[in-house]
Amino acid sequence: MRPARAVERLSAPVLAVTTVALLALLFFYPVGVVLVEAVRVDGAYTLATVVEVLRDPFYFGVFAQALDDPGVVVRSFPDYRLGLFGFTAYQALLSTVAAIALGLPGAYVLARFEFPGRKTIRSLTALPFVMPTILVAIGFVATFGANGVVTGALQSLGLQVESFTGTLGIIVLAHAFYDAPLIARITAASWEGIDAEMTETARSLGASPLRAFRDVVIPQLLPAILTGALLTFIFSFMSFAIVLALGGLSLATVEVWVYHRISQLDYGTASTLATMEMLFSLALTYAYLRYEAQQRAAGTARPPDRIDLLGTATKRRLFAWGYALVALVVFVVPIVSLVFASVTGPEGFTLRNYRFLLERQASAYAFQVKPLTAVTNSLLFGAGTLLLAVPMGVFLAIISTRQFRGRKLIDTLSMAPFAVSGVVVGLGLLRGFVFGTEAFGYRFTVTGALAIVAAHAVGAYPFVTRNVAPALSGIDDAIVESARSLGASRARVMFDIELPLVVPAVLAGTAFAFAISIGEFDSTVILATGGSSYTMPVAIERFIGRRLGPATAMGVVLLVVTSVSFVIIDRLGEGSGFGG
Amino acid sequence: MADLKLEAVRKAFADTVALDGVSLDIAEGEFFTLVGPSGCGKTTTLRTIAGLESPTSGTVRFGGADVAGVPTEDRDVGIVFQNYALFPHMSVRENVAYGLQFADPPDGQSVEERVTDLLDLVDLSGMGDREPDQLSGGQQQRVALARALAPAPDVLLLDEPMSALDARLRETLRRQVKRIQTELDVTTVYVTHDQEEALAISDRLAVMSDGVVEQVGTPREVYERPATEFVASFVGENNLFRGEVVERDGDGTAVSVDGTEFRIDDGLDGRDRNGGEALTADDRLTFCVRPEDLTVGADANRFEVAVDTAEFLGETTRYYADWGDRTVVFRTPEAHEGDALALGFDPGDARVL
Repeated sequence: MRPARAVERLSAPVLAVTTVALLALLFFYPVGVVLVEAVRVDGAYTLATVVEVLRDPFYFGVFAQALDDPGVVVRSFPDYRLGLFGFTAYQALLSTVAAIALGLPGAYVLARFEFPGRKTIRSLTALPFVMPTILVAIGFVATFGANGVVTGALQSLGLQVESFTGTLGIIVLAHAFYDAPLIARITAASWEGIDAEMTETARSLGASPLRAFRDVVIPQLLPAILTGALLTFIFSFMSFAIVLALGGLSLATVEVWVYHRISQLDYGTASTLATMEMLFSLALTYAYLRYEAQQRAAGTARPPDRIDLLGTATKRRLFAWGYALVALVVFVVPIVSLVFASVTGPEGFTLRNYRFLLERQASAYAFQVKPLTAVTNSLLFGAGTLLLAVPMGVFLAIISTRQFRGRKLIDTLSMAPFAVSGVVVGLGLLRGFVFGTEAFGYRFTVTGALAIVAAHAVGAYPFVTRNVAPALSGIDDAIVESARSLGASRARVMFDIELPLVVPAVLAGTAFAFAISIGEFDSTVILATGGSSYTMPVAIERFIGRRLGPATAMGVVLLVVTSVSFVIIDRLGEGSGFGG
Repeated sequence: MADLKLEAVRKAFADTVALDGVSLDIAEGEFFTLVGPSGCGKTTTLRTIAGLESPTSGTVRFGGADVAGVPTEDRDVGIVFQNYALFPHMSVRENVAYGLQFADPPDGQSVEERVTDLLDLVDLSGMGDREPDQLSGGQQQRVALARALAPAPDVLLLDEPMSALDARLRETLRRQVKRIQTELDVTTVYVTHDQEEALAISDRLAVMSDGVVEQVGTPREVYERPATEFVASFVGENNLFRGEVVERDGDGTAVSVDGTEFRIDDGLDGRDRNGGEALTADDRLTFCVRPEDLTVGADANRFEVAVDTAEFLGETTRYYADWGDRTVVFRTPEAHEGDALALGFDPGDARVL
């Protein structure tokens, strides 16, 4: 065996061990720290804190009350106390219903109508996967807040309104804004896969159009709708930035309360709550993945001809036009308001807000947010994230397309960050690394900046993997086998043949990873100690309510970066892996 | 160059046995074909030779040496797949040159010389700078062949290399492959489901079915003396007659098929088919007669049939005729649908299976 070949043969195991070690260091260890803190008080392991939380009506509402006094279930009907977990689930449920109500008509219009820009709008429905949640929050503040565009418009009509923020309704609407496109996307894809001949057969057997729709179309759409609903529920349950920015502590969900406990340095309660939430979200995600896996049935359907959106008014067209108007208000107005607010001030049109972002603010006090630092930090952390997440993601993609024992386990473990909230990862990294960890007789500590990059990499690499893995497994086996028969080792085939063929997917994954990093808020806000490691999303959250102008200007910068990433992903990538 | 030996190779997958004791002896420089219906194990045999599958048991030898555990890249094989499998991000020249990174070109040639020679060999001179997707299917297949041959492999493996091409092109390419193989004298294993192709191109062939080699021989041997019922009906067209022995004597054997008595030369010299006890009266016996050996108005072994369907094939016409509740196939220029005819065959044209 030539020495070069021996090195090549070793490269795969070495990379595998490195990746798994990184995963352990960046993800499993920090999450483990949170799990351990949840059941450890003063160095002793106990379930006392867990039991305490379970029995506290503040957290579990009527369920906790019923543990002491079952009669409360009857007495307080129907006015139950929800508790923190109950409220979190309740707002997630409302958000899911709202997202379905807003998304399903969208699916209908996308699947059944033809109009200029349909394909563009269809690809835009994937935008929420890369759109930072804080961007939605600032967009909604700019629209519905005290100085918001819609609020102002209503005031000028003589209505007595101050602000819509701080209400449950606005949180639900923001979640619907975020998740309705996903529901529309997943359902439209399924709708387009229904063969026209099925409906035609039902019609030929005597069913009316409505009856045929009910008997043939709806049953086939149901799995897709459920998939989207489950996804929306998970996202809304774990939603953090939107609730924090639009609701605050008075409408706190579990995530927000965990963050609140962390900021009060009550890490024990934070860990216990985070662990309980994590178990719930892991179970939901598992259910989602199981359910989604059953749906993969692609056929070559001939969908019915699309209806031209423009034309004489029919019932269908009137419905579609009405929906288009609603969609315009809900989806376009917040983004336009954001841009509008960023270029206006009391004096009218101004670029003051953007100039503010470039100021070093030498005069600012140490605790104040320095806007330029936030911008450069975001870019630096983004670059650092790519250095970690892209190799990790690509390597895990390679592993997931190989056949070997234990592959399923590595697959599952590597996708786990999807199901664990950024707040939990941030808490674990904070406790595990920023505060230091003892090993081999030394105390290891890392800076907040390094921990932030680690947290971003953990959030980003699954998207790299989900882009690259399908591209890799799409390569014909015969191509790989041909290269091997010509004398190339497995590693050489990887570098000569497979990687060059998946370059577009790697670029898409890279854009995804960058977008995730630059928009990441949940763990960053926990790990950003002092003003020196603030990023744009964190700065936006700090500015909201105090300096709306700079916040919207930063929001626009985020919007541009996100949009550029999105175009790259859309052109080159396989998407997020969620519903095409 | 090397000879190739498979000894009792067995390959079991999770739920199926793909190869059930395959033994083959392929001579150096031979053009050897594996033919059989899909799922018979021919491709698995090829992949086992290539080292892309490892046998559950049994031995593969290249030039006498056991190659168990030797990975594909170290086996000195060249493979051509049905779908060409060209590297889409490399030009034609880069594709052909790829294997020359890992093995020096033969006869002290430079890489450029070798690539040029091979492109000449497959009639693609001047196409080196094209991208694979700019070529026709037939051209892509020839690039794949040149690429496989460039490092001068010991063994060339062709896995249904022509089944994606149209019939006319297939015949042209077939002759070209045969010419190149003869010229280079490289040991070649060719997999096809097309028995006509197998007969046309091979020095010898193995007919496979259900993971077992049914018969190995030259094309003429396999066609004229099929060893089993499967070979008889898979290679070329055939009429099978199942009956019982009535009597045997010096002139041959009398067989009764549904009450009609035929006299055939069994070619067994009084022995049993398997070299065991001699056939006696009432033993079951199957023989076959090729369609071209059934003639209208023959002297011997006559039987009455009704012509059911005629298929005009150009140089000849194929007839399907009813004989009782059986169907027989024959070829003759002078029959029509609906005719009642007397067919017959020479006792020497019957083959006992």
